[in-house]
Order: sequence, then structure tokens, then C-alpha cells
Amino acid sequence: MAAVYKALSKPTTRESDAKNKDEVRNRQRVLILSSRGVTYRHRHLLNDLYSLLPHSRKEAKLDTKTKLYQLNELAELYNCNNVFFFEARKGKDLYVWMSKPPNGPTVKMHLQNLHTMDELHFTGNCLKGSRPILSFDSTFDSEPHLRVIKELFLHVFGVPKSSKKLKPFIDHVMGFTVANGKIWIRCYQINETEPGKGKENEDTSAGANGVEPGAKKGKHGETNVSLIEIGPRFVLTPIVIQESSFGGPIIYENKEFVSPNQVRSDLRRAKAGRFNKRSEAAQEGKIRRGDLGLTSEGGRRNPKDPLDSQVLFA
Amino acid sequence: MAKSGKLRPALDRLQGRNFKLEKQRKLEKAAGKRKKGKAQEVTEDDEAEGALETEMLENVEDEEQVEVEDGEDDNEDADEEEDIPLSDLSSVASEEKGDLIPHQRLTINNTTALLSALKRIALPTSSLPFSEHQSITTTEPVSIPDIEDDLNRELAFYQQSLNAVKDARTLLKKEGVPFSRPTDYFAEMVKSDEHMGRVKKKLVDAAASKKAAAEARKQRDLKKFGKAVQVEKQRERDRAKRETMEKISSLKRSTCIWNLWLCWIYANDYSAERSGADLTNTNEEDIFDVALEDAATAEKADKAARRQKRDAGGKPNPKRQKRDEKYGFGGKKRHKKSGDAISSADMRDFSTKKMKAPFGGGAKAGAKRPGKSKRAKMR
Repeated sequence: MAAVYKALSKPTTRESDAKNKDEVRNRQRVLILSSRGVTYRHRHLLNDLYSLLPHSRKEAKLDTKTKLYQLNELAELYNCNNVFFFEARKGKDLYVWMSKPPNGPTVKMHLQNLHTMDELHFTGNCLKGSRPILSFDSTFDSEPHLRVIKELFLHVFGVPKSSKKLKPFIDHVMGFTVANGKIWIRCYQINETEPGKGKENEDTSAGANGVEPGAKKGKHGETNVSLIEIGPRFVLTPIVIQESSFGGPIIYENKEFVSPNQVRSDLRRAKAGRFNKRSEAAQEGKIRRGDLGLTSEGGRRNPKDPLDSQVLFA
Repeated sequence: MAKSGKLRPALDRLQGRNFKLEKQRKLEKAAGKRKKGKAQEVTEDDEAEGALETEMLENVEDEEQVEVEDGEDDNEDADEEEDIPLSDLSSVASEEKGDLIPHQRLTINNTTALLSALKRIALPTSSLPFSEHQSITTTEPVSIPDIEDDLNRELAFYQQSLNAVKDARTLLKKEGVPFSRPTDYFAEMVKSDEHMGRVKKKLVDAAASKKAAAEARKQRDLKKFGKAVQVEKQRERDRAKRETMEKISSLKRSTCIWNLWLCWIYANDYSAERSGADLTNTNEEDIFDVALEDAATAEKADKAARRQKRDAGGKPNPKRQKRDEKYGFGGKKRHKKSGDAISSADMRDFSTKKMKAPFGGGAKAGAKRPGKSKRAKMR
């Protein structure tokens, strides 16, 4: 059914158009895989993203965490020009690598605030294999490293027309926003409601957009567009950008990034610090008491008085 | 750097500078830079000037670094030992904190390399038709004043996406790309029916629980109101009961006073016929009314009767007498309890028998009083 619709709906003029500029066509294929040691939530996130990206290919878990350059070969093997790699550490921290093999840049990011589709209970839903609209915050254009990251997002999350498992309609949007030095990612379903009128009105009213979701109903059957969140939700903190794919010199490093290990150890150390302070205070108190001559042993002795009777009549 | 005379070598000797190591280090750095430069040259042409500048800058920095760090065999290790990360400071308890210098991580932000990398992979989004990439960037950056404020943050994200959708919709319509899904088009969805069922169930459950809570609250309010009514009724009943009881008790008291009155009359030898006439003449209810309304006068009468009785020469009751004797009523109280010749010579109470009696005798006598519960039962 879908295939038939696709075949029928494909405009013929576009075919030749695409052939003309074949070299500039957006061809992307993404290899999605994780390292060993992912938790179930990480795995669910991976599955969610896989279902949202019809141009992706899922691979078995990668055995190694050090020899990541193997991913380049793997990507070549599967004809992929993007790698989306989830690296789990300590069974709790998730790092995301986005790379453009064979010689594109690599971005390593830390993934936080992860909520998978399964646990979010959002009512939004979309076709499996429909192409998303990517919405970027213009902060992405402000700095070169963010521009690189944006480009990578565009390649990984933007579904090209060439992918095979495609559905012809557009019913969801992915939002990428930079806030607080982090990248927040959301996925919404596009919900169109036509107040009363038929479908043919939609095309005529398409030019007059800017209708608020809760605004007054359009006079001539204007379509109200509203969004319903689908999930998943997560936040990425860029850490490092490498010049080549899983290797090469580091061309960007985030100063503000604090590794979760550091955070945990700080917490632990703060606790230990409290103990240190307490024990030091106790020690000081003991010494002070000794100095005052309040303890039976230790502490400072009073200097011998030369006029003491014991000295005088020794 | 030209060395001037003997001063420089002397200074170096004094500082214990390791020339060999420095030279090696410099060579290493130069090699690294050459490699980097080559990589950049391959990718970029027009930005060579900028790279050159940055390189020069870096060179200057390197020299400075070398000069600063002279005299140390193992620079990096020493660095690590010297600097203490900011986060470690909290664990240092005493005032030594002031002397420590926290180090910050070095930031790498090689703009030229980043731009060249971007150029290598960038899609020509401006020349491609919109339907190829479907990406929309907001005209102005999304500002979120407080990142912790969940509602406003999500609203900002929502607005951003919504605006993008509206723009994209017009663009796609212009290009003739099918946008909205017809209602009769069914295909596999991202979330399975089972998943959506779960979501729906959750929603239904939430709604049901909300409804149940509202219902429960209503019931509670009703109950509370019902209770108030009941309490009011009970109070009303109590009041009525109290009133009747009061009436009865006042009645009782009035009859008592009446009896006392009679006694007094007889005791003072009033003419029998007059009192009898009084008794017969007065209406019973009238007397009650007087007693009810004026308890003070009744008490006054009572007191007067007692005084009369005492004046007549009658002794007060034996209990009062005893107490007067014990605690004193009139007369000097001082030295009354002290012994004198007579009392000490008085041997009436002396008995050898009593002296030999066991100590607990008194206690035994006291034990004759039953326990509290028994007493309570007896009452």
C-alpha cells in the first residue's frame, strides 16, 4: 500500500531534476550502535532513535571501548557515512559519538536527562519512516563548534529522500535547542486540525500561516497546527570535537564540561571534607585543653618558677 | 634570542637550566606543529593567513611557557603536583586554602580547523530544495531565562518547533511535497498499538483517579456537613437536658431551705400558730420562686440561723471543737506545743510493752484502709 502510494505520488519532474544534480543530493546512512555495558534505558533510547531514523542501520554492540577507529571500517562495510555511537561507561554514564567516516569530524557528547519514549507516556505518535522537520536554534550558528555539531545533527537526524523505508508524509518535528551550554532534543508530532472545512481548503490557506494553536479559529478553514510530544527526551553536552573520524587532533574541547566521575567524586570528597573538618576541630580542642592544663597528660607544662619552694629548697 | 655576554650563562647555571631537555621539547613541538599545519594546508587555502597568525601566537606562548617552567625536569608531572583542581578545595579543612592556586583546564577551540571540517561535510542547504534537508533555523536565538523552570523551558522548545513547522509547511506546500497524512492512510507507527494502549490506559486511569478523588472529596464534605448538623442537634438536646436538671436541682435546694427554715422556727420557740398560719397560707410555688431567684438571701438566712444557734449557748459540732483544739482557735499559740516540767514528768504514756512491740504496728493499723480500687468499688 505504502509502496504503491509512493510510486503514484512521486512527481516525475523531480526525478530528472534529481538526476541533474546527483552530486549534491542529500545521501545519508547512519550506523547506530552501542558499546557493551549499556543499561536498558540506553538500549531503549537506541531503539527509539532507530525507529525514528529510517535511514539508519543498527549494529550489534561494539566490543571495544578503546579501539573506536574500528567503527570506520564497520561503517564502510555497511555503506554508512554517519556513525552514531553510544558509549556506556560504568553502567550509568552514556556518551554519544557522532562521526562522519571516513574523514569527517567526530563529536563526543555526554548524554544526560534521558527519558525514553516508553517511560514518558506521551500521546504523540508518528509514522515509522516519515521524514522529520529539523528545527534548530539559531545559537547553533553563533560559534564554529556549534555549527559543526549542527551539521552533524542535520546529517544524522535529517532523513534523506533516498532512504528506502520512507513514508511520504511529514508528521513530526525534532527540535534542537542550545540552552545553558547544552543541547536539548525534543520530538513532537505535528497535529493538524481543520476547523470544519474540507481538505481542499488546506492548500489555499497554506500561505497564511502563523496561526497560534490556541488562537481563534480561522475564518476560511485555516488549519490549526499544534504539536504533541512523542519522546524521547535527552540533553547533550558537547565534550570534544576531533578532526577526523574517531581519531586525529582535537580541535575543540569544552572547558565547562565536568565529567560525571568528577561530580561523583566531588560529592564523596565533600562528605569526606566534612569529616576532616570535624576531626580537625576535635584535635584542636584536645590540644587547647592540654595547653590549659586540663588534661592529665600531654599538653604544655608550665615553666618552672625559680621562686618555687621546691626549687628554692631543693 | 641572542645571549649577551657571560651574564646569561651564569644565570642559567644558577637556575640549573636543562638545555638538552628544553631543546628536545622545542623540537617535539615544532614537529607537532608542522604536522598540524600540513593537515590544514591540505584542507584550506584561503584561511592560511589566519592559521599562520594563530601559529605565531602559539609559538610565542610556547616560548613563554618554556621560560616559566625552566629548572623542572618533568614539567607535566610537576604541574599536576602543584596545581590542585578547584573541586578538591572543599576537602581542605584549614586556612591553607588561601595559598593554593586552582588550575583550570586548557580550552582548545581551533576555529580554523573547525570551519574547515564544517566546510568539508556541509550540505549546500541554500542551494538544495527545502524538501531535501527540511531543516529550519530560528531567526533569533531561543532564550530561556531559567533553565530549571521546566514549564517555561518546554514552552520555549515547543514554540521553536511550532514556528519551524509553520515555516516548513509553507515551504513544502510550495514545493508540492505531500505534508499531512490522509486519514485513510495506515502504516506502521513509531509507537506500537500496545504502547499507545498503555498510554491511553494511563490517561484513563489518571482521569478516573481524579474523578474518584473529586467524588471522595464531595463525600467527605457532605459527611462533614452531616456531622455538623448532628453536633448541633446533640448540643440542643444537651442544653434542654441541662435546663431541666437545673430546674430540678434548684427545686431540691429550695425544699431543703424550707426544711431548715422550719427547724429554725422550732428551735427559737416561735409561736406555733403563727408559723402554722404561715405554712398554711403561703402558696408552695411562691416560696419556690423566691428561693430560685435569690440564693444569696437564702444563704444569708442560713448564716443568721447558725449564729443564732451559737449565741444561744449551744456548742459547735464535735468535729469543729476538736479542730479548734488542735489547730488553735483563739488564745496564744506560741509555746503551746513545747514541753515543760509537768509534761516531761508525765509518765502516763510510758509503757515497756509498747516499746517492745514490733515497729510495723502502726503501718499494720494503717493498712486496714482498703485500696483505691476497692474503695472506688465500695462507693
